[in-house]
Amino acid sequence: MKAINSHSKSNTNNIALPAIIAGLYVAISLVLAPLSFGAVQLRFAEMFNHLAAFNKRYIYALILGCLIVNMFSPLGIIDVVVGTLGTAIGTTLTYLLTRKATKNLTRYIIATLCQIPGVFLVALELTIINKIPFLLTFGSVLVGELLSMAVGAVIIQLLTTRIDFVNGRRKS
Amino acid sequence: MDKMIFGRYYPGGSFIHRLDPRLKLIINIIFIVLIFLIKHWYDYLILGGVVLAGVLLSGVSLRFFLRGLRPMLWLILFTVGLQLFFTSGQHVYWQWGVLSISQEGLINATYIALRFLLIIFMSTLLTLTTQPLAIADGMEYLMRPLKVVHFPVNDVALMLSIALRFVPKLMDETTKIMNAQRARGVDFNNGSLIKRVKALIPLLIPLMMSSLDIATDLTTAMISRGYRDGEGRTRYRILKWRRQDTWTLVTFVIIAIVAVL
Repeated sequence: MKAINSHSKSNTNNIALPAIIAGLYVAISLVLAPLSFGAVQLRFAEMFNHLAAFNKRYIYALILGCLIVNMFSPLGIIDVVVGTLGTAIGTTLTYLLTRKATKNLTRYIIATLCQIPGVFLVALELTIINKIPFLLTFGSVLVGELLSMAVGAVIIQLLTTRIDFVNGRRKS
Repeated sequence: MDKMIFGRYYPGGSFIHRLDPRLKLIINIIFIVLIFLIKHWYDYLILGGVVLAGVLLSGVSLRFFLRGLRPMLWLILFTVGLQLFFTSGQHVYWQWGVLSISQEGLINATYIALRFLLIIFMSTLLTLTTQPLAIADGMEYLMRPLKVVHFPVNDVALMLSIALRFVPKLMDETTKIMNAQRARGVDFNNGSLIKRVKALIPLLIPLMMSSLDIATDLTTAMISRGYRDGEGRTRYRILKWRRQDTWTLVTFVIIAIVAVL
């Protein structure tokens, strides 16, 4: 009985925790408006992308969070499909490539670079819809994403002093 | 919880409100494919008519639709400007250095503006007339074929429902902690980039902590209610496909075929 209970507990926690983190991603995206520097945007919620480097379960959290946020974006379904696909690729790559990483800094750098395919997709989407030259879109989205991820790495690193992201609990 | 309704849902009981969320999602998808297939001005007229009919039938004031345009306004103006001034053509009306306005540029700019307008209005129509949870239910249904590739559709659907359910609570929590830290002198809106990032730490640590607590409580609650896994669960909200959904789909598909031909 004890064995069954502990098994189902970790299983159930693998549903509840990513779900709540997805909710948090949405809440932060909605409450903290992005900082704009001209065409470049710093979106704080992007920092959650680093979490995929700590545990596989955050992949679902990020995919769902991104899906919900995009559900309310002006372009609707297109953003849902493209944005969510980009996040899915980015977080899965992050998880796979950081499995052997031991240092947090390595994890952050890999996670940041893994967002490039997603940025590529978003730029491609914008180019197809509005026929703006691809490199122009790709450049401005990429700079924003890299900036968001760099700032995000600093924030996540500061959070790791209090929170154990690998096991999803507070450090005491 | 004062932000119980987040997103853009506009409560109502119109014909569009009562349509099945799956149907609205399918129509949205077909509509976007159509936008990229059509080439002539009269096709835009037909699709414009469809959108207008939807807006009128939804009973939601046009104001709410125009609000959906606001975040995209600069992108639209930028794109239209780019098309207008940089498209080279044979019939040039005005020229100044590399900038020129030609007949082709005018036509391109108009088409792209129309394309943006139609896509934005159509997706706004979906989110204004469908509750977030209903959209999630519809998406779960449309994701079902992914079961073939062993994608855990049931678990993901449950996570989606939990996430949507907790967004208002977590938004409340975020504003509450922000206000508490403001009262202690933290300034979230001013200062340099480094200062602003630093200001986020006293917000994010308690927020993360309380999220972890919520997740732990939720896990305990789910286990004590005997949750095993997503397979074979019954549902509280059941989607019902009605005759009006079939007729709406048939009408839309006919219009779509006419527009493409």
